[in-house]
Amino acid sequence: MITTTSERHIMTSGRTRLRAVARSITAIGAVLALAVVVAPSPSAAQVRMTVPTQSEPIALRGATIHTVTNGVIENGTIVFDNGVITAVGADVTIPSGARVIDVSGKHIYPGMVDAYTTVGISEIGAVDMSNDVREVGDFNPNIRAELGVNAESRHIGTSRSAGVLTALTTPAGGLISGMSSAMALEGWTWEEMSLEGAAALNVNWPDPNPRRRGFGGFGGFGQNQGERPTYAERVQQLKDFFAEARAYRDAVEAGEEVLTDSRYDAMIPALNGDIPVVVAANGIAQINDAITWATAEGLRLVIRGGNDAIHVADRLVAEQIPVILTSTMAAPGRAHEGYDGAYRRAADLYEAGVKFAISGGSGALYTDRLGYEAGVAVAFGLPEEEAVKAVTINAAEFMGLDDRVGSLEPGKQATLLITTGTPIDMTSNIEQAYIQGRELDMNDIQKHFFEKYMIKIQQRLRIVM
Amino acid sequence: MRATGTALCLTLLLATGLDAQQATRTEPVAAMRDNGTGYHALVGARVVTAPGQVIDNATIVIRNGLIQSVGRNQDAPAGARVWDLTGHTIYAGFIDAHANLGMDSVPEGGDVGPTHWNPQVRAWFSTTDNLQDDEERRQAVRSQGFGTALVVPKQGIFRGMASVVNLGDAGVRDRVLRPDLAQSMGFQRSGDLGDERYPNSAMGVIALMKQTFMDADWYKRAWEAYEASGRAFLPPETSAALEALERVIQGQQPVLFESRREEDYLRGHRVASAFGLTPWFRGSGHEYRLVDVLQGRTDPLIVPVNFPDAPDVDDPEAALNASLAELRHWYLAPANPATLANAGIDFAITTDGLSAIDDFLPNLRIAVARGLSSEDALASLTTTPAGWLGIDRTHGTIEEGKVANLVVSEGDLFTEEATVRDVWVHGVVYGVTRAAQIDPRGTWMISSSDRGGFEAQLRLEGTLNRLRGYIDVAPGGRVEEGVRVDIESASVVTETGRIEVRFDGEFLGFEGTALLAGSVSGDEFYGWSSLPNGASPSFRGTRTEPFEGPSGSTVASEVPEVDLPFIRPAMEYGVSSLPDQPNAVVVRNATVWTQGPQGRLENADLLVRDGQIVEVGTNLNAPGGAVEIDGTGKHVTPGMIDPHIHSGVSSVNETGATIVPEVQMGDVITHNNVWMYRQVAGGLTSAQIKHGSANPIGGEGIVVKMRWGGLPDEIKFEGAARLVKFALGENPKRCCFEGRYPDTRMGTQSIIRDHFMAARDYEREWQRWEATSEGLPPRRDLRMEALLDILNQELLISSHGYRADGYLALVRLAEEFGFRVHTLQHAVEAYKLAPELAESGVAAAVWSDWGAFKIEAYDATKYNARILMEAGVTVSLHSDNAQIASRMNWEAGKLLRTGLTEEQALTTVTINAARVLAIDDRVGSLERGKDADFVVWSGNPLSQFTRAEQTWIDGRRYFSLEEDAARREQMQHERQQLIQAVLAVSEDDQNGGRRGRGTEQ
Repeated sequence: MITTTSERHIMTSGRTRLRAVARSITAIGAVLALAVVVAPSPSAAQVRMTVPTQSEPIALRGATIHTVTNGVIENGTIVFDNGVITAVGADVTIPSGARVIDVSGKHIYPGMVDAYTTVGISEIGAVDMSNDVREVGDFNPNIRAELGVNAESRHIGTSRSAGVLTALTTPAGGLISGMSSAMALEGWTWEEMSLEGAAALNVNWPDPNPRRRGFGGFGGFGQNQGERPTYAERVQQLKDFFAEARAYRDAVEAGEEVLTDSRYDAMIPALNGDIPVVVAANGIAQINDAITWATAEGLRLVIRGGNDAIHVADRLVAEQIPVILTSTMAAPGRAHEGYDGAYRRAADLYEAGVKFAISGGSGALYTDRLGYEAGVAVAFGLPEEEAVKAVTINAAEFMGLDDRVGSLEPGKQATLLITTGTPIDMTSNIEQAYIQGRELDMNDIQKHFFEKYMIKIQQRLRIVM
Repeated sequence: MRATGTALCLTLLLATGLDAQQATRTEPVAAMRDNGTGYHALVGARVVTAPGQVIDNATIVIRNGLIQSVGRNQDAPAGARVWDLTGHTIYAGFIDAHANLGMDSVPEGGDVGPTHWNPQVRAWFSTTDNLQDDEERRQAVRSQGFGTALVVPKQGIFRGMASVVNLGDAGVRDRVLRPDLAQSMGFQRSGDLGDERYPNSAMGVIALMKQTFMDADWYKRAWEAYEASGRAFLPPETSAALEALERVIQGQQPVLFESRREEDYLRGHRVASAFGLTPWFRGSGHEYRLVDVLQGRTDPLIVPVNFPDAPDVDDPEAALNASLAELRHWYLAPANPATLANAGIDFAITTDGLSAIDDFLPNLRIAVARGLSSEDALASLTTTPAGWLGIDRTHGTIEEGKVANLVVSEGDLFTEEATVRDVWVHGVVYGVTRAAQIDPRGTWMISSSDRGGFEAQLRLEGTLNRLRGYIDVAPGGRVEEGVRVDIESASVVTETGRIEVRFDGEFLGFEGTALLAGSVSGDEFYGWSSLPNGASPSFRGTRTEPFEGPSGSTVASEVPEVDLPFIRPAMEYGVSSLPDQPNAVVVRNATVWTQGPQGRLENADLLVRDGQIVEVGTNLNAPGGAVEIDGTGKHVTPGMIDPHIHSGVSSVNETGATIVPEVQMGDVITHNNVWMYRQVAGGLTSAQIKHGSANPIGGEGIVVKMRWGGLPDEIKFEGAARLVKFALGENPKRCCFEGRYPDTRMGTQSIIRDHFMAARDYEREWQRWEATSEGLPPRRDLRMEALLDILNQELLISSHGYRADGYLALVRLAEEFGFRVHTLQHAVEAYKLAPELAESGVAAAVWSDWGAFKIEAYDATKYNARILMEAGVTVSLHSDNAQIASRMNWEAGKLLRTGLTEEQALTTVTINAARVLAIDDRVGSLERGKDADFVVWSGNPLSQFTRAEQTWIDGRRYFSLEEDAARREQMQHERQQLIQAVLAVSEDDQNGGRRGRGTEQ
């Protein structure tokens, strides 16, 4: 059992109560037991408190530590201070004044990183006004997701409960959707949460065969189907935009006096190779054409989607281009691929030597499924540790965050999970999470409803009795 | 050597006698009379008098529209016009048993006159009364050899009555042979007609069919009761449509179903069987998939020859995308007639479905090249349809006394590129294609002494209607040293005995096309030309070498041989038969999750006999010959059950009306559903296919077992409980068209309540009538009867919804009417009502973790199942999604993080799901006497790292990893062969070959 200070007890009282209820009820399996265990409490309405920044060194002792980058440490200790890991190992000197928490029998993993989500900028699917995902127009490199992130979004709490602690919140639509922002899922404001406002530029590769069934990469331009531009025209539009942006950058660097352009300004880090360019592409022709284009442009290319990446594997390996898979627990792309067509994608890429990450791919509502998206690949041939990497260090590396998150190493942020086993399988539980050394309130809206309506059951049963 | 025809396709009207004056004709002759004798002798031809019966050098004598005699080497009688048809073949005139002609403008039905309230019910429509001349299509069909047709109306569901007519040019009154012979029916939803009204779904269409047949029966009885009462009360309504159906429901007039897919055939047959009708079918071209069903049935079957275009495999990605289903159909469709014939199934062939009618004969020849015998082909166009249409005494063969309907062809119509020369209809001849009067083929030396003239050798070959060749020109020198060019075109002008040739003038030093024309007389050529430089030299020449080509070009199959074994469904992973049921199966030494009183047993055995579970225990004795499965390290669970999917049916929502419990998903199951295979591969064995959520009271669902390879009726879970879809909240509100009631949650409850009351009123009306027999007999109303079944708990409510308010209202409404809501589906806020649901005995099927995709789903919690279970509510999971249905174990696994035990979690996809569907007496747990539906897993079924290794249903193994691997190999082998076949044919295309032609819209 994790011991906490009394101060934290207050903030996490909901969680503790919940756990007590869960333990007792399921053990006894009898509804009558509820009346004894659950104390009606007005604080049941409290949902997910934001906690202070780390104020004292913390040592988690006795766990199996999955560093992801440096193997597994049995009975290890991890120490962090000011939000940063200072030591990881089996034989670690715990600094004096550190709060020592015994987590014997537990596992410690880095927090999972979802490389593609809309958490924070999308709340309710069919309620337009709660969605800030798609800006008007085809070219929106100036759109930075962090500016629209709602720190109170319900999905932040449920994502954390499922082990996702870092989110690449990403806009959609057009040919250039905008910038993914890397968000730590703890903080009072977007400003406090943001790790990187402009983490990656997002491009939607055009669909070469809009008539054909398949994996359309883009959409939403042009209301009139009859006036749809051709694939070649769409690709040319993209090339032209990059050429204009490059000319703008060169002119600015040369000290020319030019009228400012927000969009071209925003493109400069991507043009200079300082941030990755994530290109959504699923089909074979799409992926190939995107690689040809990105190579010519000298970009740091990451393919997102990658349903057919296995058919381009040789080139992806040769050119060291990583892939973010967005659909693993999903339907196969073609009837003849087999029922496991999507489940196998990660294992196939692994065997072919392609570097890959796995994202939730389902948007804000289901960021909490990220671990399952990785776990399914294990059932169909991917080694478990590779599946963990796909949702931690690989995602962090592709998105330029591996100096901060994605593994448990000194110098990185103390963004980690305490679990009963691997976070990518539902047979284990995620019990506690830390983000930058902050011990999170693990409550979320769904646990809140659980707690509240268990009280209703108890009240009604009292009346019955 | 004999010409096969010319490029000129004529519809010469040679007919005489159409305006003859006769004492038996009502219409006066307006101008000069045309009294041709109608006395003809067709001599010298090869006559196929009936399929398989040939008379060479025969004479057919025709008099007054009838065949007076037919025989070998007979002299033409004096006075008869003699037609020398030496070298020709004569067949009986063809009969198109499903012609799409003469019905250009079908009038709108609906509330126009005493017809029917539903515009899709046009049973009153008579083709005889409304026959249009439709000259263009009539001539087009006739030019393919047809003299007779059943003209079929094609709009709506009850489309009206089809009539047999002849295809001559006589006036409409002189053409009808059998008026209003059959009622034409189609599975057409109103959406297909640009309408939104009921029925707008596949199952709504069938519900309307059933209701209308019942109404026709009632209509007759109601009028009889009215008359018998001495008109003591107000009369029933008048409906021409219901009146027209009287003979249909008595089985005296056939119903002719037009099927667009194989399922339509099965559905039509079910409806016809239920109502004792006499069904005929216009097939869809997929009948090769139903050979086992069709064998032994004698219902008339009329198949099209509209073969699909080849799938696109032009680039590697396109080839990767080509599905086995479309590749197979492309390959097998042209062999559809042959497959039927080889199976001994009678059929007729129709022009219907072709986008261009003149594709008929070419496509028929493809069918013959693909294995249909000429005799069977001819029978399908003559004797077979004649018998079905009841005109076999007068039509279908060439015999004395029969109507003089003939096809005269310049060759074998079925095996050669032969053209139809004439079609005779009722003794009147209609010219189709005239033979070329010259044959210019061979090698000609031509020369000119005029200015700009030259010496040349012209070579013409090919068929007369598609000449090709080349020209060797010797500008000022010897031909052998000159240049050769292929000619661009060459054709024969039939009427004048002239040929016209075009070629590129470049090699003569001109830019442009050179034209050469000439009259041919024997081996002499007199020609003139027009050259691009303005010169027009004349030529003379002689034939130096005759043409020694094939006398007629035989049509051969173009596709390479591909061995495609029968599979069902005809798509990826289809199987040749259902799996065997071993006498006994035993799984040894596994972790067995019984989900019953025995709980979870380690190192246990499961014993199955004859498809049923016998025992779970340790060291069980299995009978000899039992199939043994080593379960060491494996887990065994009951087959999983999903109470809510929508895959496997042709429609989901009947949006045309608000309250539609009479529509039944069981009417529209499709077995062509690859999701079923994926689901069984993921351990799913039973599911309910539900109606959609567009209606406060939707349709009746169907519980199925995942019997991959079965037909729709074989997939049904026999004896399962009946459940009906209700829907509350956003979906029924926002559907479907402007002004549709309801638009609020209150209105939703209110209209449900109003219909419950209506059902009670309906019940009282019946009770009163049954007690007194006074007044009009009430009609059987399928909607009201379904509502009564709901009130009587024979049709269990399974209600879609999200918010607690609506659910509570529905539960209370049912209680007011004295019954119980059986189950809530989605039930996102059911946790808010957990005590109320427990008290009322309402079960719930919920999602593991869906939420927030719309506002009414915003309060979703993963703890929903947990809370409900704690309160004592029966709770299961459901998917509402084809993909999720194929991995329900992982959905159950997600519940572990809400604090459920492993066995509790698994109940949500096994025994509790069975309870939600009220099939828990048969499935859901591994207990003695239950169906042997079970899954063998590689490990803990709730782990993400586990997969199903075997899935058994009814003691039959429907899935195993090994069989799956073997099927994949076979499938990829077939795909590669078929892709190669498409490529081989497209190569032919570039050499003037052809793919299958004609697609149906």
